[in-house]
Amino acid sequence: MTNFKSAAVAALLAVLVPVSLTHAAGSGTQSHGGSHGHGAAVGIGTPGGTPSRTVTITMHDNYYEPENISVAKGETVKFVVKNEGSLVHEFNINTPDSHANHGPHMAMLFEMGMIEPDKVNRAEMAATKGSDHDMSHDIPNSLLMNPGETQELVWTFNTDKELEFACNIPGHYDAGMYGALAIN
Amino acid sequence: MRVLSIAAIALTLLGATAVQAGEYNITVDRVKIDLGHTTKTGVGFNGKSPGETLRFTEGEDVVINVKNNLNVDTSIHWHGFILPTAMDGVPGLSFDGIKPGETFTYRFPVVQSGTYWYHSHSEFQEPDGAYGSIIIDSKKREPFKYDREYVVIIADKHHHSGAKIMRNLKTDADYYNRKQRTLFDFFSDISSKGSDAALANREEWGEMRMMPTDIEDVQGYTPLMNGKTPDQNWTGLFKKGERIRLRFINASAMSFFDIRIPGLKMTVVSADGNNVQPVTVDEFRIAVAETYDVIVRPKGEKAYTIFAESMGRTAAARGTLAPRLGMSADVPEMREPPLLTMSDMRLSPLHRAAGHAGHGEGHGGHGEGHNGGEGEHAGHGGGHGEHAGHGGHGQHGAKKPDPFYAPNSGLKPTAANGGKFLSYADLKAQKPLYPDREATREMEMRLTGNMERYSWSINGVKYADSDPIRFKYGERVRIKFVNETMMTHPMHLHGMWSILDNGSGKWDPLKHVISVAPGTTVYMETEVDAPGQWAFHCHLAYHAKAGMFRKVIVEGGPKEAALKDKTKG
Repeated sequence: MTNFKSAAVAALLAVLVPVSLTHAAGSGTQSHGGSHGHGAAVGIGTPGGTPSRTVTITMHDNYYEPENISVAKGETVKFVVKNEGSLVHEFNINTPDSHANHGPHMAMLFEMGMIEPDKVNRAEMAATKGSDHDMSHDIPNSLLMNPGETQELVWTFNTDKELEFACNIPGHYDAGMYGALAIN
Repeated sequence: MRVLSIAAIALTLLGATAVQAGEYNITVDRVKIDLGHTTKTGVGFNGKSPGETLRFTEGEDVVINVKNNLNVDTSIHWHGFILPTAMDGVPGLSFDGIKPGETFTYRFPVVQSGTYWYHSHSEFQEPDGAYGSIIIDSKKREPFKYDREYVVIIADKHHHSGAKIMRNLKTDADYYNRKQRTLFDFFSDISSKGSDAALANREEWGEMRMMPTDIEDVQGYTPLMNGKTPDQNWTGLFKKGERIRLRFINASAMSFFDIRIPGLKMTVVSADGNNVQPVTVDEFRIAVAETYDVIVRPKGEKAYTIFAESMGRTAAARGTLAPRLGMSADVPEMREPPLLTMSDMRLSPLHRAAGHAGHGEGHGGHGEGHNGGEGEHAGHGGGHGEHAGHGGHGQHGAKKPDPFYAPNSGLKPTAANGGKFLSYADLKAQKPLYPDREATREMEMRLTGNMERYSWSINGVKYADSDPIRFKYGERVRIKFVNETMMTHPMHLHGMWSILDNGSGKWDPLKHVISVAPGTTVYMETEVDAPGQWAFHCHLAYHAKAGMFRKVIVEGGPKEAALKDKTKG
C-alpha cells in the first residue's frame, strides 16, 4: 500500500509542481514552497502583523458565519475560527482561482487518507514535511480544522485582489462553503 | 391547493413556535397527457399530470384530503416518507384504498426534509400518470447554498396504458424490446469472433431466456421532463453566476436515466432526500424512484441542455437552463446502446455455483467486497490508499472500478465527457441519522425471475405465493440482495430507511431505493423502528406487479404508534 501511495503522490506532484512555481516571494512560504499548488501567491497579503481587530468566524457544515467580511486595504486582522460542524473544514484566504487550484491537492489528501471526513491525521501529515511528497499542508494562509477546534490566523491585507475565504475539502467549496473578503 | 389553518397563521403572527399545520386538497382525476405525437388519457392529480409540487415544512403536521374522482379505487403513497403505517397509502397493507367518489384524509407529522415524490400505489395508475413532486423545507439551514431551485421530474410515459403493457409483456416479454439481436447480428458475430464463440455465446443467452439487449423491457415511450416532451423543452431560467439547486426525481415506471448538463459540473448534495457530503460530478445515473439534488453554477450568459439518456439509450428526456425563455443549447446525440455481457449474468441460477466459487466469500462484513465481484474491490471501505493502486493513478477523478456493477458489465456507466460519473460508492451521509452498529441479523433476498414468462419474484417466490417477511422492532436487519436476473432492480422498502452499505462505515448513506445491478450482490441495513405493515418491492412497475414484492410485518414496538392516526375522512 505504501508503494501505491508513493506512486500516486509522485503522479500527483508531477501535475501540481508547475503550478507551485508561482508560489513565492512576499508570502514567507518558501520553506515548504514546492509542495502545494495553492499557496500564498504574490499579492494576496502577508501572514502576521499586529492586528487592529479580531473577526470571529464560525464554521458549520458546510458554510461559514458570517459569509461576508470587509477589510481596509493594509489592515491586519486576527481571525478566530471555530469549527462547530461535525466535519473537517478549512479556512483558506486566497483568490477564487487559487481555491480552484487547491481543490485537487485537498482531494489527494483525502485519497491518501491524510484527511478523513471528520478527522485530520496531523501526525501522518507532519511526517511527510520536507520530503519529496510533502503532504503537511503547512501553509500560512490556511487553517485545516477538526470538528470542535478553534484556531487563529493573523493576516495583513496589503493587497487589492479579489479574495475569498473558502473550504477546499472536496465538494465543500462547490456546495457553497466560501465567503467574500471585500477590500476597501 | 394549500389552506393554512387560521390557527397556525395566528400563532405564527404571535411568534409562537407552534407546530405548523397545513391542509392540502388533492383530487385524483382522469386527465389528458400530451406526448407530442399523441395525447393519451391517463390519471393525474388536481386535473394534471404530473401533479403540482407539494411543499411541506419539516415539523409540520399535514392534513391531506384525497378525493377519488376515478371510477376505480385509488391511493396515494408518499414515497420515502417516514410516517405511521396507516398513512403509507398502500391498498391491502396500510389501508383499504380510496373508493370511487370517496375522500380519504391523510394526517401525519413531517419528520424529514428534502426532495421526494408522491404517486398512486393502485394498479397501474402511477405509470398512467399519477405522480408528482414533494419538497420538504428543512427547519435548519442546509449544508449548501443556492439562489434558486427547480424540480426536474422525469417520467417515461407510454401511449399504451399500464394494464395493456402488462398484458403484452405477459404474452411476449420482448413485445416492447425494439433492440433484439437479429440473425444478422449473429452472423456478424461469427465473422468477428469465430463461429464457435458466437455459437457458445448465443446458446448461453438462449438458456438465460434473455438477450444482451434486455436492458429496458418497455421501450417506445416518450420521456417527459416536468411533463414536457423533448421538443416542448422545459426551461428553467437563471441569472448568470447564480447557484441553482436542481431536484431530480425519476418518476418513471421502468426507465433509468443518465443525466448530464454539458458545460456544467454538478455538485450532488442529496440522495433520496438525505444530504450527502457534497461530491462534484459530470454525470449521474438515477434509478427508478430515486431523487438526487445537485447544485450547478452557470457562469455564462447562455443556455445549457439538461440531457437525460435512458440507460438502454432508447430515449432521452431534455430540458434547458437559460437566461431567457426561447434560448436553447445543442442537444447531444444519444450514445451507442450498451449490450449486456456475460458478467451481467454471472450470478444467474445457471451460473451461480461457478460464479460464487469465482469470487470467494467476500461478503461477510462492513467494508468488504460488495458486488460479488472478484475481490479487486474488497478494500473499498477499509482504507483510503488502496484505490490508488488500481492502474497506478493517484490523481483525483481517476477511474476506479465501480463496485456496484459486475466487473466487465455492459451497464457500467462512463461520463460522456470522460469526467467523473457518480457511483453509489461516492455517497456519504452528511450527518448520519443512526449510530453505526453491527446488524443483529442478516437476511438474503435473491432477486429472481424468468424473462420469457415475464415472471419476477424474490427468492424464487412471487408475492401471491409468499409469506410476509417478519422484522422485530428494535433490530437492525442486514439485507443481502443477490441479483440473479439480468435486469437492474431498484428495491424500495417503505416506512423505514434503507442504509446502503457502500463501505463508508458510519457514513453509509440513507436511501429509500437501493438499485441492484445484474450480477451483483449489494447490502443494505435497516433500523427497524416503525411498527406496522410495509411494502418492500422492486419499483419497476411491471416487476412489482408480476410478483417482485413482499409484505413486511414489524412485530413489537410501541403499539400506539401503529394504531395512531387511523382517522378516515
